[in-house]
Amino acid sequence: MPAKTKTTGSGVRPLAPAAAGLAGQAVGSMLQRLFPTTSATGRALRLAGLTAGVTGSYVGYMAQRLFLGEEGRDRKRRATHAKAGRQIRDELQLLRGPVMKFGQTLSLHTDIVPEEVLAELTKLQMEAPGMHPSLAVAQFKASLGRSPDDVFKSFDPEPFAAASLGQVHCAVMHDGTRVAVKIQYPGIRAAIENDFRWIRNMSLPAQASGHLSKAMLDEMESQILAETDYVREADHIEFFRAGLKPLEFVVVPEVCRDYSTDRILTMSVVPGQHLDAFLAKRPSQRLRDLVGSRLLELFHFQMLSLETLHADPHWGNYLFDDDGTIGLIDFGCVKRFGLDFVRSLCKGFLYPGRFDSPEFKGIVQGQFRGPGGTLPAGAWRVITDFAERFYRKVYPPDPKDAARPFDFSDAGFLRDYLRAAGNLTRAKASTPQYIFHSRAEVGLYTTLHRLKARVHTSAIVRRLMAAA
Amino acid sequence: MSRILSKSTGRRALKKETTRSRIVAAALALFQVKGFEATTTKAIARKARVAEGTVFNYFPTKEDIALHFLEQEVEHAMAKVRANPRLRKAPIEEKLFALVQTQLEFLAPHERFIGAAFVQALKPGSKLGIFSPSAQELQYRYLAFVQELIDDAVRCGELTAAGWWTPHVFWVYYLGLLLYWLHDASPGKQQTLAFLDRSLKIGVAVLRQK
Repeated sequence: MPAKTKTTGSGVRPLAPAAAGLAGQAVGSMLQRLFPTTSATGRALRLAGLTAGVTGSYVGYMAQRLFLGEEGRDRKRRATHAKAGRQIRDELQLLRGPVMKFGQTLSLHTDIVPEEVLAELTKLQMEAPGMHPSLAVAQFKASLGRSPDDVFKSFDPEPFAAASLGQVHCAVMHDGTRVAVKIQYPGIRAAIENDFRWIRNMSLPAQASGHLSKAMLDEMESQILAETDYVREADHIEFFRAGLKPLEFVVVPEVCRDYSTDRILTMSVVPGQHLDAFLAKRPSQRLRDLVGSRLLELFHFQMLSLETLHADPHWGNYLFDDDGTIGLIDFGCVKRFGLDFVRSLCKGFLYPGRFDSPEFKGIVQGQFRGPGGTLPAGAWRVITDFAERFYRKVYPPDPKDAARPFDFSDAGFLRDYLRAAGNLTRAKASTPQYIFHSRAEVGLYTTLHRLKARVHTSAIVRRLMAAA
Repeated sequence: MSRILSKSTGRRALKKETTRSRIVAAALALFQVKGFEATTTKAIARKARVAEGTVFNYFPTKEDIALHFLEQEVEHAMAKVRANPRLRKAPIEEKLFALVQTQLEFLAPHERFIGAAFVQALKPGSKLGIFSPSAQELQYRYLAFVQELIDDAVRCGELTAAGWWTPHVFWVYYLGLLLYWLHDASPGKQQTLAFLDRSLKIGVAVLRQK
């Protein structure tokens, strides 16, 4: 029997709530139109405008839902989320830089953000508006002191890929080598400090409740800030190029230091295509399994052998070739975990015993709180639930199950992961290190799911753990 | 006979142009190092290796040298934008960006002098000031070019709210931007690039509204 619905009649909208929503949206729109995106005040006011606009939509929805039936309420809620998502995405695209990066980070936290908002935020991953050719060339000249036409045999002023903090152009060196030239959007570093000042102020309630710690914000800021230094990124590329040599199926670009600065990064072109283009060619199940297995191996190899992760997990940063080769192309966000974190992770992975045992409790304690720290009781329950529902299912510890691959095509595993990760955040058990690990894991599992790959997960991890 | 005459006239014109360029280059170098006020015509003549009287023949005052340089700057920027085939199809904000950016690149080696010229232009009766006929002539030439770019954009339906006043507003914006650029201490003048890009986008967005 359908639920009894409360309605004000077809098409009748209560005036007061609609007015409240409209007022918020009007204030937001006014602030956004009046203020530029450059100065600290301008950016803060535009963001305030965005907040007012989004809040206006929600105030309108919350008031209207009192008068709507269950079905109407659900429809209205979805429409409000979608509208808010669009508003947020459009504004973040305009502001670019760190706030957009923050939006990208949020888009990975499916536990925090509603599905409809998420759909819009996900578009930020690939749809960053670019610099026009004149600006890109001017920025190149300002950074390197020479114009691209003086440096390269040819340079394409139109970008072929976008990044949140810059964009990538194709060029040919005088010896005929094709290179990718990443050019950073000007003034991005100054914008980071402004944006984080705003984010810190806006998130005060979340900080007070303990859901977002100062340490997490500090970590996020320093990581995003670090991404603006292309000299550092060039160091990362060289680190991974050397470290990933044992994995023959991985291609890491070669940096051309002569034509790189802190704002320009010139590197060799990596073959392959993005996931969408790769999947559009309808690769065989065998190839998808091969690529999936390699992706999983790449992830755990980085963790176990390099203690470092290429932690920007969206699939725009991977290229897939028809022979199963995987190319890595963005090294802005790299996280070094250190031996202690990796050791405690190893102890928990493929743990065969009971999750309520003191031994497992000790492992978890070390992983989430470090020696001597104590986990809240709620957090403890959430972690064991996570281990039981997700890790034991995806990585069966019993060697007898090793012959059976895990099928990532089932969306249920991803939902389990995201729900459990969300519970972990709500239970205040997250640590800055865990956030990055989890961010990279979400990227990995989402890609494996899109590949519909079948992977011998435990066998791969067991082999790598033995080698490490 | 006439061929011999035109040959010698051509040679004379070339020599005159070379001398003029030498004087301007010497003056700019001294303005940059010593400052506009402290540089004397005597010093300019010495550096250009010409007689002081020759300097006066070409440029009655130091301000005339400055004006000549600014004229070169404007002509250079307009020619660069006109000569770039890709820009013909570019949106108006990029055309205006390219114009201003080319001007700034031209001015970059003479930053100190530009700062001094700015102050000089504010003095009553200065040839660089907005009410001087020579400076106005240069300003109108520049604004006519900006108007040309705007007219193109209006014809393409890119701008809907532009009017006769648009180039004049752009002129005031340009002067403001020049001040911003002079005070920008960021590496490679990053802040100016970002400000120029974003402010032009916003300005054009305003002119797009009906």
